Order: sequence, then structure tokens, then C-alpha cells
Amino acid sequence: MDTVFDTFTEGISVVTWACTLPIAVPGLALVLVARRARVTVGVLYAAGAALMAWAPAAGYWRTDMRGLVVVVVAVLAAGTYLAAWKAPTGNSPLAAGGGFVGGAIASWLWRPCVGPRLGDILNEAGTDELRTLALMGVYTVGALLPLLLLAMLPVAVPVVGRVLDSRPFAVTGAVVGGVYAITLAIGLYDNLIGEMYRISSGN
Amino acid sequence: MKSSYARYGALVLVLAGIAVIVWTAVADPDTAPTFVEAADSPAAQPAPAVAIDTDDVTQASSDSAATSAPPTTSPAVTTTTESPEPIPVLGAAFTLSRLDGWLNTDAASLEEIRERNALTVVQFWTFGCRNCKKTLDALGQLHADFRDRGVEVVGVHSPEFAYEADVDNIVEAAAELGVVWPIALDTTKHNFHLWQEGPTGYWPRVYIIDSENQIRFDRRGDGAHTYRELYATVERLLAQASA
Repeated sequence: MDTVFDTFTEGISVVTWACTLPIAVPGLALVLVARRARVTVGVLYAAGAALMAWAPAAGYWRTDMRGLVVVVVAVLAAGTYLAAWKAPTGNSPLAAGGGFVGGAIASWLWRPCVGPRLGDILNEAGTDELRTLALMGVYTVGALLPLLLLAMLPVAVPVVGRVLDSRPFAVTGAVVGGVYAITLAIGLYDNLIGEMYRISSGN
Repeated sequence: MKSSYARYGALVLVLAGIAVIVWTAVADPDTAPTFVEAADSPAAQPAPAVAIDTDDVTQASSDSAATSAPPTTSPAVTTTTESPEPIPVLGAAFTLSRLDGWLNTDAASLEEIRERNALTVVQFWTFGCRNCKKTLDALGQLHADFRDRGVEVVGVHSPEFAYEADVDNIVEAAAELGVVWPIALDTTKHNFHLWQEGPTGYWPRVYIIDSENQIRFDRRGDGAHTYRELYATVERLLAQASA
């Protein structure tokens, strides 16, 4: 139980770290765009991210993102925003698919800050699969807690939902998603994140 | 009625989530994994002919909540005569190629360093990485304690971002962070991706390479228990080599 709690708090502790931006920012934009399915998109985004963060360490995903793969992934990333925008309800496959694939893509690009608990998960992923997958889920929920809270906020406080549904927020989400997909396609994504990292760390 | 239950439930979850984030932000000490008291280090005491109690080492490596002293201190080290479990060979190590150069050494290759030493501790790091910085005190101590016993530390600097690739920035950061051991400049991250197969490489990741170029230790992350285990494994490998 201590391990679960420590893993969760380690996930939360990196919320404000620059290395979490590559997974948090695309997800926040996706939740903003998904007007009618925010909770589904948010939860499945976290699930996709957790699975894809765990899979390479467990030996199930060895595909490098290079060449044509980059272009395909960029198109797919743009597609997740369209799917989230078009999803009519939380039960829609568009919401589920957009969220899950969006999380998996962001996580594929993610190079996390490896603290003690995440280090343990990655070190043991190849030998203790179910346990480490579950713990990766716990870690990801912690790291993506702001995104999940944003997804849940309109349910808790309907007036916030009406604000988030307004045009500026949807446009912001779409612009961030667009920049994400375009920079990814032309190979500038790393530089963009690097610049954000540099600014936020004061280097 | 049902929707108001959902609304209140969501409100409780949101408030709890915000509280947890605030609490974690306040409570996070962000402490470095300093783990070996100077007085207990081999530099301060002659290296004893000890064997490490295998159970304790296993516990130190598997118990993620381990906060006890390193195996150089009681009770992790005993003077038992039982032979500890052999340290597994994890495969042959790669070389370091396509480097932009070296800092803090006159060596020109990893092989040269390996030939001069019984063990080489190789860590992939970058100076902007917060988790890497947390391990530097531990590596510094390992370097100070074991360099006269044939152990060299090599930091493979693989920049995550463009500003970390600038050599002047690396030199300045190394001086500031007290990195006095050899630094291999892996500017293109060729070695970072060669050593860490698959789409994701990790900072920090640390290996021990023995004199036969075999990997004897491989861990990701900045855990204090990980670096305690690193320290203990270096000691055990040295003890095995001299036995």
C-alpha cells in the first residue's frame, strides 16, 4: 500500500516539472477540445499514456519514431483532436478512441523524469508485468491529475463547464493541438518542448 | 437526483485532487540520495575483507521503501563467511562511439578507461535533468571512495534539449555540479539510443561494466536505494575480483 501511495505522490510531484509537459499539454488541449466527452477523453488519455509508458520497458514496444512513422503519428495526433471535438457523448467510440490514442502517442514521445518509484517500475517491468502496469497507471494518474481535474470540473461545477465550452477555450485547445501535430510532423517538437523546458527551469 | 449525486461526487474528487496537489507540492523535499556517511566509507576505513549478507542486499534492492543505511554499514554488512549470490552477467556492453569528445580525462575512449580499471560505472545523464542532478552526490562519493581501488565513473552526457548540447554550458554545469569524473560528450545521443534499445531512453540510467566488458548492473532512476545498491555491487565485485 505504501508503494502505491508513494508512486501516486511521486506522480503528483512531477506535475509542475518541465519533463511532464510533453504528456500534460497535449492532454489538456484534448480535454478542452472534447466539449461533450471530457471525462471519457481524460480518463482514457491517462490509460493510453500509462500503457505506452510501460510497454517499452516491459519489452512490448520497440518501434522508434522516425521517417514515415513520424508523419503517420502526426496525422493520427491531429485526428485525435478531431475525434474528441466530434464526440457527441462520453459513450462515443470517438471519445474513447481519441483519448486513448492521444495518450498513447503523447506517451510514446514522452521521456519522463525518472524518480525512485518510476525507476523501480521501469526496472521491474520486464519481470513483474501486472504489478508494474498497475503501478504505472497509478503514477500516470498522479502526473496527469490536473488534466483529470479539468475533465471533471464541469461535472462538479456546471458553470465552469459553460465557461470551458466557450469559443476561446475550444480555440485554445485546437491551436495547441494543431501546433503539436505540425511541430511533430516537421520534427520540431523536441525543440519546442526544449525551449519550454529551458524557460521553465531558468537555464 | 442522480445527476446531483454525480455532481457532488465530482466536486469532492476535484477538491480532494487539488488538496493532494497542494500538499505534495508543499511536502516534496526534493532531496538528493545521499546515502553513505563519510565515516563509514571505504576511503575513511581500510577495505575490510567482508562478505555481504545476501538477504540484506536483496532486500535493499527489492524493497522500494528501503531507507536503511547502505550495505557498507551495519546491519547490511556482516562478517559472515557464507558466499554471497554471484552477481549476474547481463550481457556485453556496447562501446561509446561517435562522441564529440571527452572532458575531465586524457582518455580517448571507453576501452582505454576500462583497461585502466577493474570496473567502470557508466551513467547516462544530462545537466538539465533534475533526477540526474540528485544522483551526482552519490556518484561523487562513489568516485572518491573507489577511484584508488580501480573503479572509474564515466558520465555519458546525452543532452535532452538543444541548450544542453552546448559544450560551454556542459563545462560550466559540470564545474557547478562538482562533476570531476570523465564526461563523454554524446551530443547526437547515438550512444544513448544504442545502449537503451527501443523508443524511450531514460535519464538517469547507470551501469557497471567489468574488466571483461560485461554489464553487471543496470538501473534506471534516481532512487537512493538504487545508488546504495550500486555502491554495494561495486564493493562486491571488487571483493570477488580480489578473492
